[in-house]
Amino acid sequence: MTSDRSFASPVDLKAALGEQQYIASDEIATILYLSQQLGKPLLTEGPAGVGKTELAKAIAGATGRELIRLQCYEGLDETKALYEWEYAKQILYTQLLRDKLQETLAGTSGLAAAADRLAAEEDVFFSMRFLLQRPLLKSILSEQPTVLLIDEIDRADAEFEAFLLEVLSDFQVSVPELGTLVARHRPLVVLTSNNTRELSEALKRRCLYLFIDYPTADQELAVVRLKVPELAPRLARQAVELVQRLRDMDLRKSPSISETLDWARALVTLNAHNLDQQTLQTTLSVLLKHESDLQRVRAEMQRPADRPLRDEGDSARYRRLN
Amino acid sequence: MEDRIIKFISALRGGGVRVSLAESADAFNAVHHLGITDREAFRLSLRATLVKDARDLPAFDELFPLFFDANGAPPLMDLAHDLTPEEAAMLAQALKQFSDRLRSLLERLIRGESLSQEEIDQLGQMVGLNRANDLRQREWMARRMGQALGFREVQDALRQLMELLDQLGMSKRRLEQLRQILQANQQALQKQLRQQAGQRIAENLSQQRPDDGIEGLLDRPFNALSEQDMDRLRKEIRRLAAVLRSRIALRQKRAKSGQLDAKATIRANLKHGSVPIEIKHRDHRLKPRLVVICDISTSMRPCSELMLSLVFGLQDQISKTQAFAFIDRLEYITPDFVGRDANGAVAQVLQRMPSGYYNTDLGYSLENFTHDYLDTVDRRTILIVVGDARNNYNNPRLDLFDDLARRSRRTIWLNPEPPMLWGTGDSDMLKYAPMCGVVLQVSTLGELAAAVDRLLVQQ
Repeated sequence: MTSDRSFASPVDLKAALGEQQYIASDEIATILYLSQQLGKPLLTEGPAGVGKTELAKAIAGATGRELIRLQCYEGLDETKALYEWEYAKQILYTQLLRDKLQETLAGTSGLAAAADRLAAEEDVFFSMRFLLQRPLLKSILSEQPTVLLIDEIDRADAEFEAFLLEVLSDFQVSVPELGTLVARHRPLVVLTSNNTRELSEALKRRCLYLFIDYPTADQELAVVRLKVPELAPRLARQAVELVQRLRDMDLRKSPSISETLDWARALVTLNAHNLDQQTLQTTLSVLLKHESDLQRVRAEMQRPADRPLRDEGDSARYRRLN
Repeated sequence: MEDRIIKFISALRGGGVRVSLAESADAFNAVHHLGITDREAFRLSLRATLVKDARDLPAFDELFPLFFDANGAPPLMDLAHDLTPEEAAMLAQALKQFSDRLRSLLERLIRGESLSQEEIDQLGQMVGLNRANDLRQREWMARRMGQALGFREVQDALRQLMELLDQLGMSKRRLEQLRQILQANQQALQKQLRQQAGQRIAENLSQQRPDDGIEGLLDRPFNALSEQDMDRLRKEIRRLAAVLRSRIALRQKRAKSGQLDAKATIRANLKHGSVPIEIKHRDHRLKPRLVVICDISTSMRPCSELMLSLVFGLQDQISKTQAFAFIDRLEYITPDFVGRDANGAVAQVLQRMPSGYYNTDLGYSLENFTHDYLDTVDRRTILIVVGDARNNYNNPRLDLFDDLARRSRRTIWLNPEPPMLWGTGDSDMLKYAPMCGVVLQVSTLGELAAAVDRLLVQQ
């Protein structure tokens, strides 16, 4: 594997992603290529489970860079994202090195002289050795270029977003005890968001924007064939068609690609030969994660075939509410 | 090309997409890298750099072809060359039956002439295309231009023409052919009009100054807002919510009542020789819980809709919002907001609950609330009522309201009417007021934002 490969064109990048078992659309490849060329972070948005995180992994694989992942959650702060001093280790070292310290301080004439001598050594205790590197700092200090994945940024608080802006704009961090640490290589940054809340304008302004939607039937089939080659082609097509139809229904959580893949694997494991009622009833819970969704879909499945599966939309919702 | 891109960016801004200077610089950078020869790559370079919100993608997709696709007039078929002399004579004779205007239009269709720029400009002026600045007006404008050209009469005229030619003895096959070609030509003309209308509107958009007068709109009373003003406020409210949100986030007190944070405690007490003197807790934020009861009768609708938009725009600073709407009875409307903006949600609620005249009944709605949803109000909940308290002389059910106010942490009433009107006519505001923690007058969006800002301050 070559280290830090760069790509001559979007087509090149698409092929490289393909080698990583990631089927990228032209759109994804082009925008990712731009993000690499312009050195701008890439903000990907879209429903859960369409392969946003997977994209970051694939690009890391394709470029031969290390993937550093920062998973965001509510309450995430600098000590978890950037760095933290390892107090326990510092204390432990102080205890163990007590004799050595006394040796160092031996022969000093007064308190002031002892303090001076100790001050000369204090760098030992505030050095990189005791700095616990969290993902952001790790990607900045890394000897090799990296891919930094900031996952589900919409879950972090607004203040963290502001802090992140600062880091993403110049890729340097100041640690009061050590001074300013500047990135050796600019990491390739991929942010993902499930759009549970609006991100700040400032953050969006700094990023390139990529919206990944549910794939078309052909794309999804290609993904299934690639990831679950054991599944019979005919069955794979039927399964994908069913999933696509489910997405048209008004469900609390539409099945995503990852769920399609899980389902395909389930079908292989169960040695299913065709999608009959029995198989559907037993495996549907792999696709649908809400009891109410399951019941709705089961009810729809048992209807006579000539009745359309499509949802009547709003009228159905009224009935449920009233 | 650069001019074209700059114009395109201004049109996007005119269409309500917020594009910063840095972003347009990025766009040029991206185009520089990928070039303009590959249309798809060019489109993606502009899209990835200019549009940062999935909601703005449709505007981009609509404007892009208007600026960067070849816009030659669609080809029309020329019939005149195709005709035998007898047929041409028949046609000329049949055409004599029509008025001058129709005849010239029919002849144009037969010759397959597209419209000249001058003619289009003239048509545009007739229908007021120069003032159109919303792409949603495009189809309507194109249709009106078609009408101004006389397309409506053409259908009838074509039928008549066919009958005449039939009487004159043209063969059936030939007639059918003729009819198809004429109709295709007419459609091509309509398409040209549509294209031109779209382009003209896009030009207008790019010349329009973005945001003009939005500040003024913030201070305009709700009852003086036109539907167009509301459209602009709906766009504005997202930004307003974002501003409020970050302000609230920064100001919200961190309550020190969470779990013990062992690590922070050890760290803080290093200076005491690791004797735990200062106890640290995990930060635990107190986010308010809201119950919003909105009057959505006709007079109150803009106010309630904007209030709901604001509150749902602030979701991550609020632990839970339950929304209710009432006119003559109460409806639980939180589910309507899933995956919809407030405008759509309110419209959907109104379908369930058609508003008539003079049937607002808060008293009965409070009865509904107490009966079905009393559990949503507890001592952590802020109860907000948005309404003018004009109750049509129905029983105000002060007892129920008092009960609710006592159960909740705070009760806030937002009323668009000025205080001097409270208590006049059928207004029960003065009766409700003593039970509320605070009654605020919110007659403009600016006041509404200030009120929401105030109510989310921890007390």
